[in-house]
Amino acid sequence: MIEYRNVSKNYGERQIVKNLNFTIEDGQFAVLIGPSGCGKTTTLKMLNRLIQSDGGEILLDGKNVNEINAEQLRQHIGYVIQQIGLFPNMTVEQNITVVPRLLKWDKARCAERVRELLALVDMDYDTYAKKYPNELSGGQQQRIGVLRALAAEPPVILMDEPFGALDPITRDSLQDEVKSLQKRLKKTIIFVTHDMNEAIKMADVILFMSDGELLQQASPEEMLRAPANDIVREFMGKHVAQGVSGQDNIPCGEIMRKNVAKVSSSWRTLECVQMMSSREIDSLVVVDENDRYLGVVTIEGIKAHGKPGMEVTKLLETTVPTVYTDTLAKEAFGTLDSTRARYLIVLDKNERPVGIITRTSMSKALAYMVWGGDAV
Amino acid sequence: MTHFFETYGLMLGKAILVHLAYVLTSVAAATVVALVLGVLLSRVPAIARWMMPVISISQTIPGIVFIGILYLYLGMEPITAFTALAIYAVFPILKNTYAGLLGVEEKYKEAARGCGMSPRQILFKIELPLAMPTIFAGIRMSTVYTVSWAVLTAMIGLGGLGEFVYRGVSTNNSTLTITGAIPAAIMAIALGALVDWIQKKITPRGLQEVKS
Ligand SMILES: Nc1ncnc2c1ncn2[C@@H]1O[C@H](COP(=O)(O)OP(=O)(O)OP(=O)(O)O)[C@@H](O)[C@H]1O
Ligand SMILES: [Mg+2]
Repeated sequence: MIEYRNVSKNYGERQIVKNLNFTIEDGQFAVLIGPSGCGKTTTLKMLNRLIQSDGGEILLDGKNVNEINAEQLRQHIGYVIQQIGLFPNMTVEQNITVVPRLLKWDKARCAERVRELLALVDMDYDTYAKKYPNELSGGQQQRIGVLRALAAEPPVILMDEPFGALDPITRDSLQDEVKSLQKRLKKTIIFVTHDMNEAIKMADVILFMSDGELLQQASPEEMLRAPANDIVREFMGKHVAQGVSGQDNIPCGEIMRKNVAKVSSSWRTLECVQMMSSREIDSLVVVDENDRYLGVVTIEGIKAHGKPGMEVTKLLETTVPTVYTDTLAKEAFGTLDSTRARYLIVLDKNERPVGIITRTSMSKALAYMVWGGDAV
Repeated sequence: MTHFFETYGLMLGKAILVHLAYVLTSVAAATVVALVLGVLLSRVPAIARWMMPVISISQTIPGIVFIGILYLYLGMEPITAFTALAIYAVFPILKNTYAGLLGVEEKYKEAARGCGMSPRQILFKIELPLAMPTIFAGIRMSTVYTVSWAVLTAMIGLGGLGEFVYRGVSTNNSTLTITGAIPAAIMAIALGALVDWIQKKITPRGLQEVKS
């Protein structure tokens, strides 16, 4: 359990963090959100003492962190930064085992741990272990950054805008991966972001900060339903809309739209409604923990049978036709026509939804044939 | 020609060895001193801010003046030449060590602290390895310079290839001058290449130029 009691931090005359009080339970995914410069990073770094607090106390499982040796403390708290910060002079394997080696784990145990961890993110040991960071893509680098934080099995992990530098598609899949890792490994995570979509997607509990103060601590559901004040309301409205439009219309492949509005089966109705309204869509694709297709949930379905806070799995519909990435577009268009469905879901060979084809995709595909690439 | 080598062959061989010995010992000693100083200076930026310019300026004192002064104190011993050369060789390595350490991006240091490394571990596992290419550039520069500076040792009668150069110049014998100059030039190139080779050997792939 993590407890902040009257924690404050000053730089000169300026009070950057003001009497912060909150508690994060074990196994919770807590997201710290708020406008730029509101003190999120400062709040986070006071926990692993990269920044020294000036007042109050921070308790980790009941122990004041200031009474723990700073280096030992940090070895037992995972830490992921936005700039990734993999050590360029070390291989993937060496990077992952930095903390285990500081803790004097023996070679065999380190090696085994690396295999285990790479498997968690579907990266092949033989292909990647001996590579250097500059030989990996940005997304792969940050996966390793996350694994480095997980390596010594710390119960608590701090992440400061870990996906801020990644492109939207990579960010999306890393969010899914980290969320499912956190659930599986039962870690307590404090995650800083200023993207409300990311917060809603990842958080068990959101802590909204503004100007060094905690304005609201609530589940995503509750924060959407009952924002504590106008600052929170405005920030959420603005950011939900912005973040999504940035991800819209990323053209990939010839006709399929790649940004499937996916939600995990643990989502509840209000979160879904919020996501639909922000994306101006009327249905969402539901996937299981392995990202496999389960069905869709529609606004009509929620209106007809849903209650606030109900799990979406109770409202699943499985009538939408599905095709595979290697299905011919002609066939897909045929299916669209004959079934009178409004769209099709495209699955990859692992049954993961990777795109949708709508009637608009059809007209765009036609335009593409007539006018060439730019029209799509 | 054969006659020339009969007369000077042995002397040339010895001069090359002496020259090489001066260069290698002084650069080696300078590397150690410069690394230690560079690390210390990088820990106290407040002092380094005025130290580094002073060091840069003193580097421009002509070598001959310096050797002369040392000669007065230490006498005509090989230690005089060695000391003078080593002090000169320190500058480029020190400057590059300092610059290299300062150039290590904050994100790596922050990540290292976040992993729970001590300042000492951060220095040895992160900062020095990342500064290595810059430090090696300094060592290379020092080595090449020292080969030519070592020519000056002959001026105080301490041998090396400079002996040929000076005798050649003073007796107007250009063959002699060239006999000293060419091995010195070759030595500079060869030692430079040696430093490059060592660097390539010990630099991990992750720090070398990315081939794309
Ligand atoms: N070392 C410092 N000295 C003085 N002021 C600082 C220092 N570090 C941070 N600040 C100030 O403290 C405030 C909070 O900084 P912090 O980095 O915690 O914000 P943040 O919420 O993480 O912002 P962002 O979203 O931009 O990362 C900012 O106004 C910043 O300018
Ligand atoms: Mg920040």
